[in-house]
Amino acid sequence: MTGSVSNRIRVLRFLNGEMSQVELGQRIGVTRQTIAAIESGKYSPTLEAAFRIADVFKVPLQEVFTWDANGAAGQGA
Amino acid sequence: MAYREKIGWLSLFAMALTFGPYFVLVAMHVYPDAALPDVRQLILFGVTAVAQAFIIGAGHLYFRRSSPDEARMPPDERDRAIMQRSISSAYYVLIAGMIMVGVMMPFNSGGWKIVNAALFMIVTAEVVHHGVAVASYRRQAS
Repeated sequence: MTGSVSNRIRVLRFLNGEMSQVELGQRIGVTRQTIAAIESGKYSPTLEAAFRIADVFKVPLQEVFTWDANGAAGQGA
Repeated sequence: MAYREKIGWLSLFAMALTFGPYFVLVAMHVYPDAALPDVRQLILFGVTAVAQAFIIGAGHLYFRRSSPDEARMPPDERDRAIMQRSISSAYYVLIAGMIMVGVMMPFNSGGWKIVNAALFMIVTAEVVHHGVAVASYRRQAS
Protein backbone atom coordinates (compact mmCIF):
# COMPACT_ATOMS: atom_id res chain seq x y z
CA MET A 1 0.00 0.00 0.00
CA THR A 2 1.52 3.30 -1.04
CA GLY A 3 0.92 6.81 0.20
CA SER A 4 2.60 9.20 2.56
CA VAL A 5 1.85 12.15 4.79
CA SER A 6 3.91 15.26 4.20
CA ASN A 7 3.87 18.37 6.32
CA ARG A 8 4.78 22.05 6.37
CA ILE A 9 5.71 22.29 10.02
CA ARG A 10 9.21 23.62 9.30
CA VAL A 11 7.76 26.43 7.14
CA LEU A 12 5.04 27.22 9.68
CA ARG A 13 7.57 27.36 12.49
CA PHE A 14 9.60 29.83 10.43
CA LEU A 15 6.53 31.94 9.71
CA ASN A 16 5.73 32.01 13.42
CA GLY A 17 8.87 33.79 14.49
CA GLU A 18 11.19 30.81 14.01
CA MET A 19 9.39 28.89 16.74
CA SER A 20 11.70 26.20 18.14
CA GLN A 21 10.90 22.48 18.09
CA VAL A 22 11.11 22.55 21.89
CA GLU A 23 8.46 25.28 22.16
CA LEU A 24 6.13 23.56 19.69
CA GLY A 25 6.63 20.30 21.55
CA GLN A 26 5.81 21.92 24.89
CA ARG A 27 2.66 23.50 23.47
CA ILE A 28 1.26 20.21 22.18
CA GLY A 29 2.68 17.96 24.91
CA VAL A 30 5.37 15.98 23.09
CA THR A 31 9.17 15.94 23.17
CA ARG A 32 11.47 17.87 20.83
CA GLN A 33 12.55 14.54 19.30
CA THR A 34 8.95 13.69 18.45
CA ILE A 35 8.51 17.05 16.69
CA ALA A 36 11.74 16.38 14.76
CA ALA A 37 10.46 12.91 13.78
CA ILE A 38 7.10 14.34 12.63
CA GLU A 39 8.79 17.16 10.72
CA SER A 40 11.08 14.76 8.84
CA GLY A 41 8.16 12.46 8.01
CA LYS A 42 9.54 9.55 10.03
CA TYR A 43 6.64 9.49 12.46
CA SER A 44 2.97 10.12 11.71
CA PRO A 45 1.28 11.85 14.65
CA THR A 46 -2.11 10.89 16.03
CA LEU A 47 -5.08 12.85 14.75
CA GLU A 48 -5.27 14.65 18.10
CA ALA A 49 -1.64 15.79 17.95
CA ALA A 50 -2.10 16.84 14.32
CA PHE A 51 -5.07 19.03 15.29
CA ARG A 52 -3.09 20.49 18.18
CA ILE A 53 -0.21 21.42 15.85
CA ALA A 54 -2.63 23.10 13.45
CA ASP A 55 -4.20 24.92 16.40
CA VAL A 56 -0.82 26.27 17.54
CA PHE A 57 -0.24 27.79 14.08
CA LYS A 58 -3.91 28.90 13.81
CA VAL A 59 -4.34 27.23 10.42
CA PRO A 60 -6.63 24.44 9.17
CA LEU A 61 -5.27 20.89 9.41
CA GLN A 62 -4.85 20.55 5.63
CA GLU A 63 -2.44 23.48 5.64
CA VAL A 64 -0.13 21.53 7.92
CA PHE A 65 -0.50 17.97 6.67
CA THR A 66 -1.15 16.71 3.15
CA TRP A 67 -1.71 13.19 1.90
CA ASP A 68 0.18 12.06 -1.18
CA ALA A 69 -1.43 8.87 -2.47
CA ASN A 70 1.53 8.07 -4.76
CA GLY A 71 4.28 8.74 -2.24
CA ALA A 72 6.30 6.16 -0.35
CA ALA A 73 4.47 4.60 2.59
CA GLY A 74 5.02 6.40 5.89
CA GLN A 75 6.83 4.66 8.71
CA GLY A 76 4.28 5.36 11.43
CA ALA A 77 5.24 4.54 15.01
CA MET B 1 18.86 11.45 21.70
CA ALA B 2 15.46 11.00 23.39
CA TYR B 3 15.52 10.40 27.15
CA ARG B 4 13.76 7.06 26.84
CA GLU B 5 16.18 5.94 24.16
CA LYS B 6 19.03 6.64 26.57
CA ILE B 7 17.25 4.50 29.17
CA GLY B 8 16.88 1.73 26.57
CA TRP B 9 20.61 1.81 25.80
CA LEU B 10 21.38 1.84 29.52
CA SER B 11 19.25 -1.27 30.11
CA LEU B 12 20.88 -3.12 27.20
CA PHE B 13 24.34 -2.09 28.42
CA ALA B 14 23.57 -3.22 31.98
CA MET B 15 22.29 -6.59 30.82
CA ALA B 16 25.27 -7.18 28.54
CA LEU B 17 27.65 -6.30 31.34
CA THR B 18 26.00 -8.43 34.02
CA PHE B 19 23.93 -11.27 32.61
CA GLY B 20 26.30 -11.71 29.65
CA PRO B 21 29.15 -12.97 31.87
CA TYR B 22 26.62 -14.80 34.08
CA PHE B 23 25.36 -16.97 31.22
CA VAL B 24 28.90 -17.49 29.89
CA LEU B 25 29.92 -18.86 33.32
CA VAL B 26 26.79 -21.00 33.50
CA ALA B 27 27.38 -22.36 29.97
CA MET B 28 31.01 -23.14 30.82
CA HIS B 29 29.74 -25.23 33.77
CA VAL B 30 31.95 -23.29 36.18
CA TYR B 31 29.04 -23.77 38.51
CA PRO B 32 27.81 -27.37 38.19
CA ASP B 33 24.16 -28.14 37.64
CA ALA B 34 23.61 -29.22 41.23
CA ALA B 35 20.32 -29.66 42.97
CA LEU B 36 18.71 -26.65 44.64
CA PRO B 37 19.90 -24.86 46.70
CA ASP B 38 23.45 -24.35 45.44
CA VAL B 39 25.10 -21.56 47.44
CA ARG B 40 27.70 -20.76 44.77
CA GLN B 41 24.99 -20.41 42.13
CA LEU B 42 22.91 -18.30 44.49
CA ILE B 43 25.87 -16.00 45.16
CA LEU B 44 26.64 -15.70 41.45
CA PHE B 45 23.03 -14.82 40.71
CA GLY B 46 22.86 -12.41 43.66
CA VAL B 47 26.02 -10.57 42.59
CA THR B 48 24.73 -10.36 39.01
CA ALA B 49 21.33 -9.01 40.04
CA VAL B 50 22.84 -6.44 42.44
CA ALA B 51 25.38 -5.32 39.80
CA GLN B 52 22.59 -4.86 37.25
CA ALA B 53 20.47 -2.89 39.73
CA PHE B 54 23.48 -0.71 40.60
CA ILE B 55 24.35 0.07 36.94
CA ILE B 56 20.72 0.89 36.10
CA GLY B 57 20.29 2.98 39.26
CA ALA B 58 23.50 4.93 38.67
CA GLY B 59 22.59 5.44 35.00
CA HIS B 60 19.11 6.73 35.85
CA LEU B 61 20.61 9.12 38.37
CA TYR B 62 23.14 10.41 35.84
CA PHE B 63 20.53 10.91 33.10
CA ARG B 64 18.12 12.61 35.51
CA ARG B 65 20.81 15.05 36.55
CA SER B 66 22.06 15.74 33.03
CA SER B 67 18.59 16.32 31.53
CA PRO B 68 16.09 16.93 34.38
CA ASP B 69 13.38 18.47 32.14
CA GLU B 70 13.27 15.46 29.82
CA ALA B 71 13.31 13.08 32.79
CA ARG B 72 10.29 14.80 34.34
CA MET B 73 8.26 14.77 31.14
CA PRO B 74 5.74 11.90 30.95
CA PRO B 75 5.98 9.63 27.88
CA ASP B 76 4.39 11.26 24.84
CA GLU B 77 2.35 9.52 22.13
CA ARG B 78 5.44 8.40 20.18
CA ASP B 79 7.05 7.00 23.35
CA ARG B 80 3.84 5.12 24.14
CA ALA B 81 3.59 3.72 20.60
CA ILE B 82 7.20 2.54 20.73
CA MET B 83 6.66 1.09 24.23
CA GLN B 84 3.58 -0.78 23.04
CA ARG B 85 5.44 -2.25 20.07
CA SER B 86 8.50 -3.26 22.07
CA ILE B 87 6.51 -4.82 24.90
CA SER B 88 4.31 -6.84 22.55
CA SER B 89 7.41 -8.14 20.72
CA ALA B 90 9.00 -9.15 24.03
CA TYR B 91 5.76 -10.77 25.20
CA TYR B 92 5.89 -13.44 22.46
CA VAL B 93 9.52 -14.23 23.28
CA LEU B 94 8.68 -14.52 26.97
CA ILE B 95 5.63 -16.72 26.38
CA ALA B 96 7.56 -19.05 24.04
CA GLY B 97 10.39 -19.24 26.57
CA MET B 98 8.11 -19.93 29.51
CA ILE B 99 6.32 -22.71 27.61
CA MET B 100 9.68 -24.28 26.84
CA VAL B 101 11.00 -23.89 30.39
CA GLY B 102 7.83 -24.61 32.34
CA VAL B 103 6.20 -27.27 30.19
CA MET B 104 9.01 -29.09 28.39
CA MET B 105 12.13 -28.84 30.56
CA PRO B 106 10.72 -30.52 33.71
CA PHE B 107 10.61 -33.81 31.75
CA ASN B 108 14.36 -33.91 31.09
CA SER B 109 16.04 -31.34 33.40
CA GLY B 110 15.90 -30.06 36.91
CA GLY B 111 17.41 -27.75 39.52
CA TRP B 112 19.47 -24.83 38.35
CA LYS B 113 19.17 -25.83 34.69
CA ILE B 114 15.49 -24.85 34.79
CA VAL B 115 16.17 -21.74 36.88
CA ASN B 116 18.90 -20.57 34.49
CA ALA B 117 16.82 -21.37 31.42
CA ALA B 118 13.96 -19.30 32.85
CA LEU B 119 16.38 -16.47 33.64
CA PHE B 120 17.80 -16.68 30.12
CA MET B 121 14.34 -16.35 28.59
CA ILE B 122 13.47 -13.40 30.84
CA VAL B 123 16.73 -11.66 29.93
CA THR B 124 16.18 -12.44 26.23
CA ALA B 125 12.67 -10.95 26.44
CA GLU B 126 14.13 -7.85 28.11
CA VAL B 127 16.78 -7.56 25.38
CA VAL B 128 14.04 -7.78 22.74
CA HIS B 129 11.96 -5.19 24.66
CA HIS B 130 14.76 -2.61 24.89
CA GLY B 131 16.29 -3.58 21.54
CA VAL B 132 13.05 -2.96 19.65
CA ALA B 133 12.57 0.35 21.50
CA VAL B 134 16.10 1.55 20.73
CA ALA B 135 15.81 0.44 17.07
CA SER B 136 12.48 2.30 16.75
CA TYR B 137 13.95 5.50 18.21
CA ARG B 138 17.02 5.20 15.93
CA ARG B 139 14.84 4.64 12.85
CA GLN B 140 12.83 7.79 13.58
CA ALA B 141 15.81 9.94 14.54
CA SER B 142 16.60 12.82 12.21
